Amino acid sequence: MRLSDALCELVQAMTDTTTPILSLRGIGKAYGPVVAVREVDLDIFAGEVVAICGDNGAGKSSLIKVVSGAEEATSGTLQMRGKEVVFASPHDALSHGVATIYQDLALAPRLSIAQNVFMGSELTRPMLLPFLRVLDKKKMAQAARGFLKQLSVTVEDMDRPVERLSGGQRQAVAISRALRWKAEIIIMDEPTAALGVKETALVLDLIRKLKADGRTVLLISHNMRDVVALADRVVIMGAGRKYVDRPLGDLTADDLSHMIMAGNARAA
Amino acid sequence: MREIIGRYGTALAGLALIVFFVVFAPNFATTMNVVNVLKDTSFLAILALGFALAFTVAELDLSIAEMASLSAVVCGWLVQLQYPPLVAVLAALSVGALLGGLNGYGVTVLRIPSLIMTLGTAAIAKGFAFMITQGVAFVGRWPVSFTGLARGYTFGIPNLVLWLTGVTLFAWGLVKWTRTGAHMVATGEADEAARLSGIATGKMKRIGLLLSGILAAITAVLLAANLSSAAPNMAGDYLLYAIAAVLLGMTMFEPGKPNVPGTVFAALVLKVLGNGLVLLGAPYYVQDIVLGVIIIGSVAFSASVMKKAAFKV
Ligand SMILES: Nc1ncnc2c1ncn2[C@@H]1O[C@H](COP(=O)(O)OP(=O)(O)O)[C@@H](O)[C@H]1O
Ligand SMILES: [Mg+2]
Repeated sequence: MRLSDALCELVQAMTDTTTPILSLRGIGKAYGPVVAVREVDLDIFAGEVVAICGDNGAGKSSLIKVVSGAEEATSGTLQMRGKEVVFASPHDALSHGVATIYQDLALAPRLSIAQNVFMGSELTRPMLLPFLRVLDKKKMAQAARGFLKQLSVTVEDMDRPVERLSGGQRQAVAISRALRWKAEIIIMDEPTAALGVKETALVLDLIRKLKADGRTVLLISHNMRDVVALADRVVIMGAGRKYVDRPLGDLTADDLSHMIMAGNARAA
Repeated sequence: MREIIGRYGTALAGLALIVFFVVFAPNFATTMNVVNVLKDTSFLAILALGFALAFTVAELDLSIAEMASLSAVVCGWLVQLQYPPLVAVLAALSVGALLGGLNGYGVTVLRIPSLIMTLGTAAIAKGFAFMITQGVAFVGRWPVSFTGLARGYTFGIPNLVLWLTGVTLFAWGLVKWTRTGAHMVATGEADEAARLSGIATGKMKRIGLLLSGILAAITAVLLAANLSSAAPNMAGDYLLYAIAAVLLGMTMFEPGKPNVPGTVFAALVLKVLGNGLVLLGAPYYVQDIVLGVIIIGSVAFSASVMKKAAFKV
């Protein structure tokens, strides 16, 4: 391919609003005999906030674990901007610009805030020789403090181990890690489940900021009010299947709850 | 205050112990004895740092002593056959790297728990060491260019101490200041979290076990050079001591975590203790009993410090 063609394609890809940034095709996930996700097709467009709802055990976490590279799909394929991609590990997904905040946060309790925020993507600076790079601990502490501040968490000591933080502070550390990747697509699995009212409001604000920033957010939530407040589109899952996928429009929180229950009744 | 005791309490106790022997053990503070203790510490500390690096990625390497013995035997064999010392040293390092690599392969690819894998590797290494030597030691008048590695002095400092300093700086720099080191620490602390953060946890485990093998081989070369001999079981006694050094090291500086300064200082304390007990006329078996008490006591101490830390908000 000539360079000019490549550039053309790149520009097209970046300005294209009809090709989904991420597509799931026939995704299935089984854990041995337990089938958690069945034949899910889903298109995500750039800049959207898509909410994935459904009862406990519906398969939401399993679905996003496939997209984040944490688990390999049992069937189906993923595409980014129309090109097939294989996420064999979280590393693959991260390097394609997909970062995830897991429901269980996936933090290392005994490591510090800064170490957790920059886990896997530590900042370095050259030392003596250009190829000899050492950790830039100062810069990481500074940046970590900045991320936490955005979430109104004001812990001074970035060396404090995460096990000594409150639930909300831990959540902020996990969110900061995802922000740190500067990913295009951010997946959040129940990011407000462990939070109080004030902390929840901050996370919702953050999601708005991410959207304003042009980033794409996949939000899994139990809280229908959050979904109504934020989502452009809702996807409802039950028993591993996707059975609603529509723009939010003027749906209310109650409507969503009814749709989830109706789906459960049908699945049962 | 509590923080300081948790962090440095055992280090201070170790220091007090050293002072105790300086004052009360006859002939402890002579130059010759001090140099001997420091030399002895070097072997132990380098080997223990290997164990500590493997432990940093949460793997137990029980093959360090046998890897060292086999590396020493290969090294001594080649020196005996009058190969240039450099060739012998490189061969020994290759043996360590090969065995460490084998451990890494077994643990990460075949998914064998390191406890089992490294015991197997230890048995294999031991077998080969006896095969090569036919059960007897290689002894000879070896060239000074080889024995000097351990017996020589540079600028008045024993070479062994310089090797120890080099290895210590390497290990400390790696763990504390490089991205690879940070990934190793994350892998050891929470390997699923590390994997989800994009860290190649399998690779980190392989690096830890590989380095353990290489440091065992470095220890082996220095042991062989110091003794001008290589026997198939020459490092056997070091396993428990190395484990004790790492565990005792985990009670200081960074409580509950394997760490480089703690390991080196603990190795010194253990060697001072052994030497001092001998000088005070304690029977030889007292050392083993003390070693066992230290191993158990260290882990109990770390556990209690960690419990306190977790509850302190
Ligand atoms: N690691 C696992 N091993 C076995 N079964 C699992 C595992 N993870 C999830 N499941 C099962 O898969 C189904 C979907 O779970 P999950 O994806 O966590 O749902 P949700 O996030 O919507 O609550 C459940 O029946 C759950 O028990
Ligand atoms: Mg879930």
